[in-house]
Amino acid sequence: MSPSDADRRPCGVPGLTSRRGFLRQIGLAGAAAAAPDSAGPAERPENYIPARATPVSLRVNGAPHNLQLDSRTTLLDALREHLHLTGTKKGCDHGQCGACTVHINGRRINACLCLAVMHDGDQITTIEGLGTPEKLHPMQAAFLASDAYQCGYCTPGQIMSATALMKEPCGPTNAAVKEAMSGNICRCGAYVNIPEAIQTVRKAG
Amino acid sequence: MESFRYVRAQDGAHAITFARRAKTAQQGADIRYIAGGTTLVDLMKLDVERPQTLIDITHLPLTEVKAAPGGGVEIGAMVRNSDLAHHPLIQRDYPVLSEALLSGASAQLRNKATTGGNLLQRTRCMYFRDVAMPCNKREPARAAARSPASIARWLSSAAASTASRPTPRT
Repeated sequence: MSPSDADRRPCGVPGLTSRRGFLRQIGLAGAAAAAPDSAGPAERPENYIPARATPVSLRVNGAPHNLQLDSRTTLLDALREHLHLTGTKKGCDHGQCGACTVHINGRRINACLCLAVMHDGDQITTIEGLGTPEKLHPMQAAFLASDAYQCGYCTPGQIMSATALMKEPCGPTNAAVKEAMSGNICRCGAYVNIPEAIQTVRKAG
Repeated sequence: MESFRYVRAQDGAHAITFARRAKTAQQGADIRYIAGGTTLVDLMKLDVERPQTLIDITHLPLTEVKAAPGGGVEIGAMVRNSDLAHHPLIQRDYPVLSEALLSGASAQLRNKATTGGNLLQRTRCMYFRDVAMPCNKREPARAAARSPASIARWLSSAAASTASRPTPRT
């Protein structure tokens, strides 16, 4: 497999050497080298409560998952770190950038501000559940066709927001689409092509 | 974020029993109710809020919007901002409320935030949100430890402000 193929492979494909796997190995090697310096017990506050594992059942992209999670785990971290669905991105981690947008019971929400334990039994849809590289969701295809991204980091959140927008009350104008998409920040500045992609899908539908 | 015990409230009475055990409902409370969590989870990540018990009240049946018998409207504490903004009764009789809700935050946050939580939102003041900075609202004890003159100066100045009008440092 050539490097260009590896770059195009979607996130979260296990068992193959990928950019993610390579970086993880580098990270582990770095951590091992740094370990002797950082040894020693961490200071804990007086009111420290040991982490308790809480059983949480999530239905993610149609598949049931039974997890044991620290109550502090956000839905975003549960998806990325426990279920290895890394398509959902962590941007600001404070509900401001929209990179972590997923659908909970069909509605778009910032996964970074959700505690996973609060969503026991809920239906979650992530970018991985929208389409496949072979059969793209119409919104994914429109983003490709309109070149509605540059680095792509905000794109999963943009697309999850855009697909939810299709079911929400939203006026027909570009201005209305921009307002409805204002919870998704793009640092590269693909703001011209994102509404174009969304309007293409709206007009087709 | 500090570790906490998570409890899902079964009904209103169950939720209220926890409030009786709380030492205070003010800043620094060891028990907090959580609904949308768009403010509370954010402040917990910043270590501004460090509850030991979190009571999840999102499953309580408080999601109704209805005309009140004597005029006005009754809005359930767990009604989401987006549901309230798009509710036919609100759009017809309270269009300014609908418009105000849709002008706030983002579509994702409005799907999460609740009416009850919205009323209990903490200040967005940047000093309050930054534990490395002094803040008399977050840590009133600091003000009490000071001289009467400095307390008088503090009282005459803002204890917290909006992000667009930062609190003067005292």
